[in-house]
Amino acid sequence: MIFVIDDDRIMAKCIVSYVREETLVFANAIDAMDKIAEGIIPKMIFLDILLDGPDGFTFLNELVSYNDTAKIPVVIVTSLDINKNSLATYGVVGMLNKEIMRPEDIRGYVEQYSK
Amino acid sequence: MNEEVDGILLVAHELKAPLAVMRQLAFVFEGAGAKDEHVRAEMIRVSERAIRQVNDLARVRRLEDGLFTMEPVAVREVCDAVSHELSYLLGNDLGSLDVKYKNKSRLVIANRDLLYSVVYNFLLNAIHYSDDKMKTKMIVSDKHDKVKIVVRDYGPALPIDIWRKIKSGRVDKPTSMAMRPGSSGVGLYIASKFSEYMNANIGVVRHRDGTSFYIELMMSNQASLF
Repeated sequence: MIFVIDDDRIMAKCIVSYVREETLVFANAIDAMDKIAEGIIPKMIFLDILLDGPDGFTFLNELVSYNDTAKIPVVIVTSLDINKNSLATYGVVGMLNKEIMRPEDIRGYVEQYSK
Repeated sequence: MNEEVDGILLVAHELKAPLAVMRQLAFVFEGAGAKDEHVRAEMIRVSERAIRQVNDLARVRRLEDGLFTMEPVAVREVCDAVSHELSYLLGNDLGSLDVKYKNKSRLVIANRDLLYSVVYNFLLNAIHYSDDKMKTKMIVSDKHDKVKIVVRDYGPALPIDIWRKIKSGRVDKPTSMAMRPGSSGVGLYIASKFSEYMNANIGVVRHRDGTSFYIELMMSNQASLF
């Protein structure tokens, strides 16, 4: 299971269409955390930063606060200029710029982290 | 910055997200028939060009914060990179692009990203409006303590008011050009703002069959590895 968290539904659908694995899409961080609390632990997460309600950074903080989610690989998908290294301690394994990313970038991360 | 221009720049910032979505939607059609493949490829390229321009416009707002570092920049590397990107973005529409390096000095004092955008906007305009039979030319040369990048544009003549604004070194807002359909002058506006930030001069030379746009930058004396 892969989580895609993005408040832009069309962008989220595009990401989902690039992968073959089962995915769940969330428009905000709270719904995603609720799903995890139900026991659905994703193999990896594609996460937008600017979200309605708690932002992507808050979500990352929540993830590392719990043993069962601290090691989930997260790929940030954003238009912001963020240094990936500064987020490495939050389990961030990749950073994709929405303006230049290509389907093979998404597939590459899925291939590497969701098996 | 006046309110009108600030409004334009805000709108540019807002356009980034929908343009990025449009580009991704074109990717979703991957695997469509060969007949539609060129349409899909064109959609991607058009969105990428638009994204670059709105990104540049959004950057104009950030110039006031002075966050763009001035440093020694390799001119040839920048010009080559722009030519490479345009050959990808324009595909068959590029025609032939002739780049000549006559400069001995290799480094200028600039911000790489801003210089890249100035050269990109000059070249994109030149290619877009040039008569198909004409070659687009870019010449890099140096004189005294300055390096000059000239882009020869064979497109329709530049309106006199725009020409004067560029000559005076100040294009204060995007302005539509009657002789260049579809142009808002946004490329020149961006080039003017970025040049001003880098203490560089931009200018134009009118020819009977077009215009040469140029930017003059201060040479850097730092040793070059390129």
